[in-house]
Amino acid sequence: MQKTPEQINEDLLRPLQGTGNVYRVVLAFFVCVVIVAGYAFGHQIDNGIGVAGIRRPVFWGFYITNFVFWIGLSHAGTLISAILRLCNATWRRPVTRCAEVITVFALSIGAAFPVIHLGRPWVAFWLFPYPSERGIWPNIRSPLLWDFFAINTYLMGSVTFLLLPMIPDFALVRDRAVGFRKKIYSALSLGWSGTPKQWHRLETAMHIMAIAVIPVAVSVHSIVSWDFAMAPVPMWHSTIFAPYFVCGAIFSGIAALIIAMALLRKFLHLEEYLLPIHFENLGKLLLVMSLLWVYFVASERLTAWYGNEPAEMTVFWLTQRGSFSPLFWTMVFCNFILPFPILAIKKLRTITGCVIASIGVVIGMWLERFLIIVPSLSRKYLPYSWATSAYRPTWVEITITAGTFAAMVMLYMLFSKFIPIISVWELKAGQHPVAAEEYARFADGQTRLADELERSEAGAE
Amino acid sequence: MARQWGMVIDLDRCTGCEACVVACHAENNIDTVGEDQAARGRAKHWIRVERYYEGEYPDIKAKFMPVLCQQCAAAPCEPVCPTFASYHTAEGLNGQIYNRCIGTRYCANACPYTVRFFNWFNPVWDEPLNLQFNPDVSIRSVGMMEKCTFCVQRIKAAEIQAEAEKRPLKDGEFAPACVQTCAPKAMVFGDLNDPTSEVARLARSNRATKLLEETGARPQVTYLKRGSWNGAENAENA
Amino acid sequence: MAAPDSIYGLFPGPAAADLGLNALRDAGVAREKIVVMSAEPFEEYEFAHMGSSVAMYRIAACGGIAGGALGFLLARFVQTAYPFPLITGGMPLVAPWPTGIVTYELTMLSAIVTTVITLLITTGLPNWRKGKIYDDEVSSGMVLIGIVDPSVGARADLEDRLRRAGAAKIKGTGRFARGG
Repeated sequence: MQKTPEQINEDLLRPLQGTGNVYRVVLAFFVCVVIVAGYAFGHQIDNGIGVAGIRRPVFWGFYITNFVFWIGLSHAGTLISAILRLCNATWRRPVTRCAEVITVFALSIGAAFPVIHLGRPWVAFWLFPYPSERGIWPNIRSPLLWDFFAINTYLMGSVTFLLLPMIPDFALVRDRAVGFRKKIYSALSLGWSGTPKQWHRLETAMHIMAIAVIPVAVSVHSIVSWDFAMAPVPMWHSTIFAPYFVCGAIFSGIAALIIAMALLRKFLHLEEYLLPIHFENLGKLLLVMSLLWVYFVASERLTAWYGNEPAEMTVFWLTQRGSFSPLFWTMVFCNFILPFPILAIKKLRTITGCVIASIGVVIGMWLERFLIIVPSLSRKYLPYSWATSAYRPTWVEITITAGTFAAMVMLYMLFSKFIPIISVWELKAGQHPVAAEEYARFADGQTRLADELERSEAGAE
Repeated sequence: MARQWGMVIDLDRCTGCEACVVACHAENNIDTVGEDQAARGRAKHWIRVERYYEGEYPDIKAKFMPVLCQQCAAAPCEPVCPTFASYHTAEGLNGQIYNRCIGTRYCANACPYTVRFFNWFNPVWDEPLNLQFNPDVSIRSVGMMEKCTFCVQRIKAAEIQAEAEKRPLKDGEFAPACVQTCAPKAMVFGDLNDPTSEVARLARSNRATKLLEETGARPQVTYLKRGSWNGAENAENA
Repeated sequence: MAAPDSIYGLFPGPAAADLGLNALRDAGVAREKIVVMSAEPFEEYEFAHMGSSVAMYRIAACGGIAGGALGFLLARFVQTAYPFPLITGGMPLVAPWPTGIVTYELTMLSAIVTTVITLLITTGLPNWRKGKIYDDEVSSGMVLIGIVDPSVGARADLEDRLRRAGAAKIKGTGRFARGG
């Protein structure tokens, strides 16, 4: 179902043209949540990180769970967008920008957590390698420094991956805007005019970026997983962590993408652009990732159980039968038992079905991060030092967690108001009629036009 | 040869009196966090006496093991600190630089012995304990990691004194607070690289063992296994 | 700054635009003087290939290698900087794996940054000069095919050729500016 360029422009630029009251109210709500979370963080800086629930020996809790969760979620966009671009999958065109936006915002939110969880966040800049007066540099043997480099590289890559294809769309909005908005969009579009040289360079740059960003994305979550795997903690010190985390990241990312697309489809009336086939294809990918996730979890737990090492088995049974088992089985339900039938049975793989499965996956993956961190820290090697009272998050941690979800929604809502959430030029480019047909159709028109001109000239003489 | 500070703890002599814990608090300006915070697992005891019960009433046995920073030669807490706040000194100690710590708490997670403690709040001393500070030890503020330093302030003071007097350090000339306080003399401190020192001799004992050696951290604290009360070699009581 | 002189036609579709391009080439207009603008990349059509190619892949790779070398030097420096070469965890002073990771990340970062810079330089962006050759109707789907700096005498002939080739509108900038 082909649409003319004008129709596409109209449909995809409509969200930029006005805001309804419902939008304003919902946005205000999320802004309030973010402000409350900001207050909670200020309270934490003022009084000391002890206002959070973390304790000895569970030194990492909600904040690091959120950190890993958001960085993982960010693997949706750029990875999916880059892989689909390299595979020339045509159905990716309406999906790419939605996905890339998730990446950039999720990364930014995730990257805030290494600062939020610090005991002394005001000196966080010591992580940056700069020549200090004391002549001391950061310790790059630490996986946290690898995080620093990897996340910055990935953020840089994702931002450019998002911004470069936005340039022609900024130009589009510039052409339609008036007054102050026109000035802003003119500046943002960098004076783009759409010459073949510019298009060719842009597409080549996107292709190079797609090739470059995939290994970076894989390395980022591997490095985040090594924050855990490099420490001699029972059930952390496992070689499977890097691929396990990358798989989990892509899994949660695709789920977030499906949810975001479903919401956009509904609220921005993009039913003719985000089609059921898109959700079906993403749903199939989600199914594959779910199976892959089960494979990794099963491999890890089987080898731990078979090895029967006492420290590891303590943590193993704690999650499977002990105090963490309700969370553990909820996670298994959300990540596998719920999504598998929905996504495997074609009849159930509707948009609603995919969204239900995705919501389950997002919850399940958050729980998975929590269950990797807290049970292992609760039961380390010396039983006298086990966490006798369980780790309980305080209002500070819960508020900040809620604040990050609100921030994500808020940023997404703001983005979709100022920039077309579907890449307009890519969508148009995907709708090209076959050249030969075009020529044939136009040749008729040409002959008619030539005849008309001759007739008018003959008439004029 | 460079010094390698080490300790030997004789588990047969330890009575579990915890005088070492109190002495450490006094020497190193460690605050008591209060009942509420302690219940939430935030108490700080640079040396603690781990107590394990065995058996059922009335045949209960209690086993005591003082656990402190093992000053591991291949310490897992050192490479994971992003700001070099935890590093290995030339004399074999695991140094903790308080004002370099940004509080990521990675070192505490990496330590298999859980001997690292975090300042969740700014420390508060009830009166009159606030008059009792040791001027040689800095007060740690919120957001910093701290742990046993083998009383490095005493080591440094003794070394400076010996150098000023142009003589070598004698074995047993000084000791960390816990070693000094231990009534049954269960703890011995000294230079493991000096083969004539008491600690090196005891570390070669046939009762010598190390805690969690399988983690590969190469701890410098040696524990001497328990014998039975009547001197018979009884593996059951080890 | 005044707009450069040009005459251009707005063609309703890519096939028409190709005919317009051929018409101009038949008129003997040099390749460098032909300007093409569109709202999407039309890879299958000839008018979309009016540009020289740049070895962007090679430049990106070179940028990556340069960045990697810098990353390696940074990693080595940071671990050995006088006066604080600090030993941690029994690992060597220049630990190979962390050095490798930092090198790798900085390689990828500089490949990405090099690509962006190459893109900006070779496309001449940002180009915020006023009075460029451009027409807002391009974003509605029209393809702009025109001639930069034509001679005044050839005006009528060029406009006629463009119209015959199927231009929906004929416009101009600079000296030739007027309404459609």
